[in-house]
Amino acid sequence: MKGYLLRRFIGMVSVLLALSLVVYAIFYIAPSNPAQLACGLKCSPAQVAQVRQRLGLDAPVYLQYARFLEGIFVGRDFSTGTGVMHCNAPCLGISYRTGEQVTSMLATRLPVTASLALGAMVAWLLLGVGTGLVSALRRGRFTERALTTLTLAGNSLPVFIIGLLLLIVFCSVLQWLPFPTYVGLSQDPQQWFWGLLLPWTTLALYESAKYARLTRASMLETLAEDHIRTFRAYGVGERHLITRHALRGALTSVIALSAIDLGTMFGGAVLTESLFGLPGIGRLLVYSVQIVDLPVVVGVTLVTGVFVVFANAVADVLYAVADRRVVLT
Amino acid sequence: MSHHPHRSRRLAAVAVSAALLGGAAACGPKSGDTNSADATPHKGGTLYVLNQNPQNEFDPARLYTTGGGDVPSLVFRTLTTRNRVNGAEGTKVVPDLATDTGEPSQNATVWTYHLKKGLKFEDGTPITSADVKYGIERSFAPELSGGPPYFRDWLVGGAGYQGPYKDPQGLDSIATPDPWTIVFHLTKPEGDFPYLATMTQFAPVPKAKDTGTNYYKHPISSGPYEVAENQNDGVHLILKRNPYWSTATDSQRKAYPDTVDVLAGLDPSVINQRLSAGTGNDADAVTTDTNLDPAELAQVSSDKQLASRVGTGHFGETYYLAFNPKVKPFDNIKVREAIAYAINRTSVVNAAGGSSLADPATTFLPDQAAFGYTPYDPFPAGATGNPARAKELLKEAGYPNGLTVNLTHESDDADYKGPALATAVQDALKAAGITVKFTAVQDDNYDNTIDSTKTEPGFFLSGWGADWPSGAPFLAPIFDGRQIVTNGSNFNSAQLNDPTVNATIDRINTLTDHAAAARQWGALDQQIGQEALDVPLFHPIYKRLFGKNIRNVVIEDWDGRLDLAEAAVK
Repeated sequence: MKGYLLRRFIGMVSVLLALSLVVYAIFYIAPSNPAQLACGLKCSPAQVAQVRQRLGLDAPVYLQYARFLEGIFVGRDFSTGTGVMHCNAPCLGISYRTGEQVTSMLATRLPVTASLALGAMVAWLLLGVGTGLVSALRRGRFTERALTTLTLAGNSLPVFIIGLLLLIVFCSVLQWLPFPTYVGLSQDPQQWFWGLLLPWTTLALYESAKYARLTRASMLETLAEDHIRTFRAYGVGERHLITRHALRGALTSVIALSAIDLGTMFGGAVLTESLFGLPGIGRLLVYSVQIVDLPVVVGVTLVTGVFVVFANAVADVLYAVADRRVVLT
Repeated sequence: MSHHPHRSRRLAAVAVSAALLGGAAACGPKSGDTNSADATPHKGGTLYVLNQNPQNEFDPARLYTTGGGDVPSLVFRTLTTRNRVNGAEGTKVVPDLATDTGEPSQNATVWTYHLKKGLKFEDGTPITSADVKYGIERSFAPELSGGPPYFRDWLVGGAGYQGPYKDPQGLDSIATPDPWTIVFHLTKPEGDFPYLATMTQFAPVPKAKDTGTNYYKHPISSGPYEVAENQNDGVHLILKRNPYWSTATDSQRKAYPDTVDVLAGLDPSVINQRLSAGTGNDADAVTTDTNLDPAELAQVSSDKQLASRVGTGHFGETYYLAFNPKVKPFDNIKVREAIAYAINRTSVVNAAGGSSLADPATTFLPDQAAFGYTPYDPFPAGATGNPARAKELLKEAGYPNGLTVNLTHESDDADYKGPALATAVQDALKAAGITVKFTAVQDDNYDNTIDSTKTEPGFFLSGWGADWPSGAPFLAPIFDGRQIVTNGSNFNSAQLNDPTVNATIDRINTLTDHAAAARQWGALDQQIGQEALDVPLFHPIYKRLFGKNIRNVVIEDWDGRLDLAEAAVK
């Protein structure tokens, strides 16, 4: 197990290094001039040169990348004009645009995206696996049809439309909920919950159809297998059969899919974040790409990368728990 | 000066959001009171602002505003400011920190201001002329990049100055003979200097409290409100009263609410949805950057109660077809004239959202007196174009069988420079025998493409908004030959360098009587218009919702937005 974890860790670090290299490369191949953009309109070439120097863009690319790596391990200093700002390790640099430390920009936005992604995962697992279970066990009945229709409808509508519809119905017409505003979990857990309820529901409606399908198919497959028939013949209870055997079989694929979806949520829930005005990672990334704010883009990519890799590692461990035939090597 | 001072909204979700807005308008709760925007304003409460764009870089040195901006003007007082009254009167410049709008001397190259007595920062320390000088000098620092370009161009020694961090001596061209007097020495006559003095760079900054690149987190207020909280670089700003601000020295800002809560990063359809539903705090909310789109406007207009909560604003802005006469066949004035005759302004206005959201334009200057608007139409094509006259001109130009041209446009319709407008142009030109092919450029990269003399296309959709309501910031960047920039952003798309035009611009810039200058800008506009260097298409109109508890709605023609310093909450 120790060896396994160590190998996973080394793999993770190399994936992240490769990621940061690729992002750096893309930015230097793409025709853009971040110093000109940061300087503003009608900046003279001399002024652009000053900004370039301040941002460290006058150095050769490999040196810029080396400084970036140095920042991660030992930290860096930046001039504020009136003084010096120390950026502690792991320092991801400062934003070209605002001069703010990328790590602190990420730190304020990460809880928002984490709240959104984790909550949404809970919601889509409840709705998706629940629907899958019901449709496997109550084939052709009303509850099955209703739930399947709901999840399919959710999956076939764009996230944006689902969100808007929920806003109209629950905030505008029925007025059961206030228009969502993000409030931190530590500030006010109750407000946090109410503020995220609609974004979670939106993502859950959108994502759950595939979980329902997956659960239903694996359940039916397992239930048709010989050993289940044997268990039945031995008089094992139906409830026990479903929870201990059929559902367990379905769980492995659900876990694998969840890990991928959760990882994507960290950088890819832009539409949901935009619609509900959540100041999360996805929107930071889109905005930073538009204004060629390289340090922020690299920072977000790395953090998203960490989550994808980490979520997959957790999924691998959970595999072993759900399916005893899996051995971690 | 900007191609798009206000990004209008994305059109992707328009149809849906409009349908939903309509539904809400029909089913939503009806407010019992008849809304009257001008009822007696009430002091206190919280004014909510729901916006798309975050108030980034809340540092007076880095902001690029017209007339001091919306939210910035609540915190930063400047030497002069915009006149806070409705309509055309709101294009005038009035004193703010200063006792008057400035005393010009030496042919408008020297401008002197005297500060009012009793002005204080949020910490109670008195505001002096040295603080105003320091504020302007900071804007030169490369650490605080951004802001408008005028200071480098206009102030003596500005071109090489690197800001007070590298060069603490300061700029000699800004003199402060005593704590209440400040004198500016300019490189050339600038009759519009009082308009420039509305920008946030003219806000005082106490040197002792300057924190460089971190100043944006808590800039020291001179206005009615100070920053209580700034989350995520302007995504959520909470402003509370500045106890040292007083109406005794500020006749412009009413500052009725106790708190102003600015929440940005919202989706445009959600903003309009919230303003129309008006539940909870949203009844006390306004927006300064989100227009109603055509479909939403149609829905809102059919509901009497909602229609009474739509503010109409005019900002000096012109959208036009631009030519690069260095590219064939646009070097031929007859071809350019033919296109001007062929254009169908009715379909162009429809593509921009219809007659309630756009006025057809035949002049480059916006249709407001402050700019020097002088109605003219050098190529009278009527409301729907004159293809017959266009065909004649093409024949004279040597294209009896018509021709094919390439029109460059933005890839989406958010800025009135997208496929909708391009198609309207294409249809009109087809009737005149001109086949239009399209080149779409990603909107992030559009300005870079059209503003570089190296990549500028021959024929493209463009727009221009003024930094202040005057002919100078409208005509000079576009038509002054000395403002052609070959290694940066160039706005003189036609690359016109006509010595008589340049001389006329210089002559008008010496005028300090705005009305006299305006007349001459109008005449210059008409003169340049004959050369068909562009085809003016339309001037946009803003329609924006405000919450049902909002009173004392003031929308100046200076920027066409609801003035946050005037609004009250019931």
